[in-house]
Amino acid sequence: MPSYRQLIASAIVVLLLALLPLAGSRYAIDLTTEVLIYALFALSLNVLIGFTGNISFGHAAYFAIGGYACAILLTTYGWPLALALPAAVVLAGLVAAVVGYFCVRLTQIYFAMLTLAFAMLVWGVAFKWKEVTGGDDGFTGIKMPAMISHHIGYFYFTLITVAAGIAALWVICHSAFGLTLVAIRENSVRAGFIGVDTRHMRWAAFTVAGTFGGLAGALFGMYHRGMYIENAFWTESANVLIMVLLGGIYSFIGPIIGAAVLHLLQTFTNQYTPYWPTVLGLILLVIVMVLPDGLIGLARRVRGRGGRP
Amino acid sequence: MKYSAMLVAAGVLSAGTAFAQQGPIKIGVLYPLTGGGAVYGVPAMAGHQLAIEELNAKGGILGRKIESIERDDKLNPAAASSTMKELITKDKVDIVLGGLASSVGLAMSEVSKQEKVVYISTIPKSIQITTDKLHKYVFRTSANTDQEGDTMAMLAGKNKLSKICHLELDYAYGNDLEVGILKALPKYAPDAKVVLTLKPKLGATDFNPFIPQVMAAGCDGVLSGLWGPHFVSWVKQAAPLGFFSKIKWISGGEIGSHEIAGELKAEYPDNVISNTYELWYHGNDPSHKEFQAKLAKKLNTQETPQWAVLGYIGVMYAAAAMEKAKSTDPDKVAEALEGLSIGTPVGKLTIDAKTHQANIGQFWGPMVKKPDRAYRMMEPAEYIQPK
Repeated sequence: MPSYRQLIASAIVVLLLALLPLAGSRYAIDLTTEVLIYALFALSLNVLIGFTGNISFGHAAYFAIGGYACAILLTTYGWPLALALPAAVVLAGLVAAVVGYFCVRLTQIYFAMLTLAFAMLVWGVAFKWKEVTGGDDGFTGIKMPAMISHHIGYFYFTLITVAAGIAALWVICHSAFGLTLVAIRENSVRAGFIGVDTRHMRWAAFTVAGTFGGLAGALFGMYHRGMYIENAFWTESANVLIMVLLGGIYSFIGPIIGAAVLHLLQTFTNQYTPYWPTVLGLILLVIVMVLPDGLIGLARRVRGRGGRP
Repeated sequence: MKYSAMLVAAGVLSAGTAFAQQGPIKIGVLYPLTGGGAVYGVPAMAGHQLAIEELNAKGGILGRKIESIERDDKLNPAAASSTMKELITKDKVDIVLGGLASSVGLAMSEVSKQEKVVYISTIPKSIQITTDKLHKYVFRTSANTDQEGDTMAMLAGKNKLSKICHLELDYAYGNDLEVGILKALPKYAPDAKVVLTLKPKLGATDFNPFIPQVMAAGCDGVLSGLWGPHFVSWVKQAAPLGFFSKIKWISGGEIGSHEIAGELKAEYPDNVISNTYELWYHGNDPSHKEFQAKLAKKLNTQETPQWAVLGYIGVMYAAAAMEKAKSTDPDKVAEALEGLSIGTPVGKLTIDAKTHQANIGQFWGPMVKKPDRAYRMMEPAEYIQPK
């Protein structure tokens, strides 16, 4: 169970966010909605990276599956949101389970390459299956339930969904299952010796990551009223990977911070210059060379140094 | 008490709007400015800026200065969607222009529908924008794949092609153009048969698997949608085999533009008939000369790129619509754009009130050698405008 302090801090953050629409800035609401979605996306990836120690280069696949499935079920089949959203999340989880079944047979770079290969397969399907996904024109014109079609309504919907998603991930990561994953990350051979079925555990982690990635994707699609093949491309997987690394992989909230900082930085940079990729390159350079534990690691180091005599 | 409070509120509100009237009119614009699309997006943005400078020199729109807020669309529809929302909610733009890729055009159209802000699609050709996905606030001032396909079919008939090889890139534009051509082919060339259809990938650079197939198919002409770098690669790989000596190449995708002619120079093959939106050396309207001279000065080259005129026309339409509506209110501007005719460097254009599509034409013609030039030029260049 989380400590009282953590619970209260989280409650305050959610409450403050809930008050945001009172500020009256439509722009701030939209931006926060985007950040919340990316935060959940990054956090879902970190189940694999930070907790299990498996780096996936294909996490955008599940994001895209969740997004496309929700969009298609809502629009083409006219399902109500209460059915379409869970179905999309389950589908993303199922695909993750199938892909994970093969991927967890490998480790390290081979694992990463296979996740990338499967993700590009998903991209290929979205691209080629024009009748259903709209191909590279994208799937636009998603039909939204009236209740959340207004931007404030959608903001609250996102806030509640993301908060619930984060809470669920917190519970999962801090359960016995989560601690087992950490054991695998630290020493997979030794974990195997003490009786952990490491492959099964990694498979489960892969599925959890895909499921929550799918949830983030569904939220993203509805927010933009459209899904595009670019959302399944490897660059999207790289983007979320950088969010996770920037925030810090060894901390639960690291990816949330990373997602917020990277997305806001990108948004504000674009207002001044189109050369965001250069800025991104520099950020990556700094992370790799100076901040291997991300921003959270930096904060800890600063605090740690201050405390020492 | 209540009344006076309301009066004060009304006063504050009207003062607010009066104050807003004093500010500049804001035009938001997105083109790809980095990466692969920059070759097209940067010239289009130059044309856009030229139009803004011209209008501001004449006192702006409705007596208000124009402020242009320019962003990179990164050729990415989701990024374009976020950026366009930002332009609307943060910068409070009055209208949005631009886009290049079909998917970006469709994404921007979706935001325009949601936010009830007028969007003029200045380059995207996807037919969906003005058919299935048409709504009140979206307009198009570029050509679409049906128009381009119609002209290509007409040229196939005119050149008496009987056995046709069809080459399209395997993505939205290629597939839509194919539909446009096949729709019109029976009308113009009832006896022509498509004997081979090949679809290389978007971004393909190796056409060696395709070239022998086309040469073996025995077609007397190719209808092609290979644009820009794809055409350049095809030429470099196929020309040494004598490909272009036997086969007529009728192509959409603006490979008749000076950009491609200038890139291929002496390598540009015979027997090519293609299109371009604009030619720096040939106009169909008296105003073209002045436009081209200004553009040449701005870009510091006499041989100006064709994409600029599309950016230019977008702004001119936005300005004309606001002047006609005497307002920047999106509903009124959208109504004003329906059926609106304006003079442009490529002649008078009219936006159809029903389809929201401008009847912009393109220059079509064979690319011929010129004794005094290092590159080929389109001659005679015929301006073909849709009916």
